[in-house]
Amino acid sequence: MPYWYYDKKDLQNTPSFRDGILNETENRYRKEGARFIIDTGSKMDLGYNTVATGVVYFHRFYMFHSFRTFPRYITACCCLFLAGKVEETPKKCKDIIKVAKSLLTEQKFNTFGDDPKEEVMTLERILLQTIKFDLQVEHPYGYLLKYAKCLKGEKVKLQKMVQMAWTFVNDSLCTTLCLQWEPEVIAVALMFLAGKLSKFEVVDWNGRTSKHNAWWDMFVEDISMDLLEDICHQVLDLYSPPTQLSGAESPPPQLGNKTVPKNEKPSVTPPTSASPVTVAKAVVTPVKNGSDAKLEPPKIDMRFTYPGYAPIPPYPSIYSAPPPAIPPPTRLPLPPGPPLSLYAEPPPSTRFPPVNVPPPNYFPPMPTRGPMPPRGPIPPGPPPPRPYYPPP
Amino acid sequence: MSGSSSSTSPPTLASINDVSALFQTAKKYEELNVIGTGAYGTVYKARDLHNGGQIVAMKKVKVALTEDGIPLSTLREIALLRQLEAYRHPNIVRLLDVCHGGQSLERESQLVLFLVFEHVEQDLESYLKRAPGPLSENRIRSMSYDILSGTDFLHSHRIVHRDLKPHNLLVTSSGRVKLADFGLAKTYDTDMKLTSVVVTLWYRPPEVLLGVSYNTAVDVWSCACVLAQLHTRTPLLPGSCDSEQLHCIFRLIGRPPRHEWPENVSIMADSFPDYPPQDLANVLPRIHPQALDLIKGMLVFDPAKRLTALDCLEHPYFTDEPLT
Ligand SMILES: Nc1ncnc2c1ncn2[C@@H]1O[C@H](COP(=O)(O)OP(=O)(O)O)[C@@H](O)[C@H]1O
Ligand SMILES: [Mg+2]
Repeated sequence: MPYWYYDKKDLQNTPSFRDGILNETENRYRKEGARFIIDTGSKMDLGYNTVATGVVYFHRFYMFHSFRTFPRYITACCCLFLAGKVEETPKKCKDIIKVAKSLLTEQKFNTFGDDPKEEVMTLERILLQTIKFDLQVEHPYGYLLKYAKCLKGEKVKLQKMVQMAWTFVNDSLCTTLCLQWEPEVIAVALMFLAGKLSKFEVVDWNGRTSKHNAWWDMFVEDISMDLLEDICHQVLDLYSPPTQLSGAESPPPQLGNKTVPKNEKPSVTPPTSASPVTVAKAVVTPVKNGSDAKLEPPKIDMRFTYPGYAPIPPYPSIYSAPPPAIPPPTRLPLPPGPPLSLYAEPPPSTRFPPVNVPPPNYFPPMPTRGPMPPRGPIPPGPPPPRPYYPPP
Repeated sequence: MSGSSSSTSPPTLASINDVSALFQTAKKYEELNVIGTGAYGTVYKARDLHNGGQIVAMKKVKVALTEDGIPLSTLREIALLRQLEAYRHPNIVRLLDVCHGGQSLERESQLVLFLVFEHVEQDLESYLKRAPGPLSENRIRSMSYDILSGTDFLHSHRIVHRDLKPHNLLVTSSGRVKLADFGLAKTYDTDMKLTSVVVTLWYRPPEVLLGVSYNTAVDVWSCACVLAQLHTRTPLLPGSCDSEQLHCIFRLIGRPPRHEWPENVSIMADSFPDYPPQDLANVLPRIHPQALDLIKGMLVFDPAKRLTALDCLEHPYFTDEPLT
């Protein structure tokens, strides 16, 4: 059975890297591909589950292929197309291509070739082979809701925290976190982050025992503060403007020998202008994708203080439509006060269904986990359900 | 690792030189010989060239491609098989790999899928044929339990096997039984079936033969037929055609009372003689009394009144004495 988790060294030594693409450039390609899947999916009214599955396929695919061989936007389309079928929310290939065309510049759409549909069809088979037909993917969303149900506290604040964590999960799709950690671990970490930022402190929870130091001990064993912080940083890094050249628009076609692409233009700076807040310099050293294995963990204990954090800049414009449950993000100057107050406002959410009213049975019942990988052992879930259904 | 590419071609798929190479991951396996030909596919014994030459069983299934590529139902079924595999249930044959051989050369609209399973010594059919004499009571009990455990596992994941029979039950060298050949019903349905292959009816429950809707209870009926066969080493209900099979069944369990006869069936209850029920003990002489009671509870005409696989596992036949 394939195993889909990688350590940071593997994530640096990718096929794209070996093909002469800088890690930073690759990460930008991944981010752009993921955002494009989210955009296309949202525009076609596909649910968050389908979109997230498509993004996970995308990240897995590029653990075996180079961005130079397979241009990212057509791969992204194919991932969404396949995810649609697997999640039983199928969209016609030609309709996906139509939406893609409307979202991309002509130059980018040209990578789809003369017969885009045929290209996607061919790519579907390459994609399936690459992801080894391992089609069913779990996401943090369900765990997020499940864990939230156990937390005690003020309802409104809890709600806010969950909404914020949900948005972080959406955004985490633009990182390689799904190649590093199980969805349970990501759910815990991003709830932890949202709890900090929304100032919802979890003091009690259902099912608490004397063995628990924190609420997440109930769901994921041995999750260290270092790990939580590392995961949070990887998501928070999405909101900080790039500090250096991050690569070419597209990988140049390869000319024989493999060289690191030169003449890389600085990428377009994300639209930070929407925020009146100046971005404070982060004090915490983010644990970057393990360029140095012995890198010291961040010194600041995230459990207690937050002054060092850069405020979250305006959200990526793709997350344009706030859900009805939450007021639109204010663009008025933020109230004066310590920087902490910046975090009181939950980030605007996406078009994905708001979390406050998950429809019944929205998530399939949790099966008991198979054998867990060595890291982050997770206690088995409830026994598998035994409904005896007639076949459809 | 399959499919990793270091292509130097320009980025248009149509012009990627190694696309065909990407499709050839079936080349990871060296076909040795055919071990089974069914209505929908061929099973080969093969060598896994990437895993120290480990012997595997490779099932080739042809999938009809649609205008939108691989059918959703096939993808769903493979996803489910993969998901089940995570549980590594001891009575389910291990699914090691799934790959495809690209579009078949003869037919553009077909994709050849390869499902790679652990190779298990033999199926129950040949095991029973080769058995030098009656199986020991312990062996029968443990095999019965294995079959019902695997069935209950599938049912707990909303899968109906639909074709439980000795050919689809594999026996390991240590005598454990594993279920095979399930989960691709919809994939099969879209494909052309080989009409030349005779499908056995002997394990079919009455509701299937009558063509009414059915559910997981069909598998319990089939299990009962297999369990009985473990005792006698001959099929319990060897009918020769659909209607003959129903006669066979009613001769054993009696023609069901009219109020149990399902609605919307073209065949009338009256078209069968009023067979009285037979004592199963006469058909299965010298059988363990608890085993007899269990099988009786499974061979019930009304699917709703049949034991479930889970009920079976909790039957005193298994719980009175520990399994060895
Ligand atoms: N994993 C396996 N190990 C050994 N033999 C197998 C295995 N799987 C199938 N076979 C043999 O091949 C035959 C056909 O396989 P099956 O999966 O039942 O395909 P079909 O759909 O054609 O019936 C089985 O009856 C069995 O004898
Ligand atoms: Mg078979």
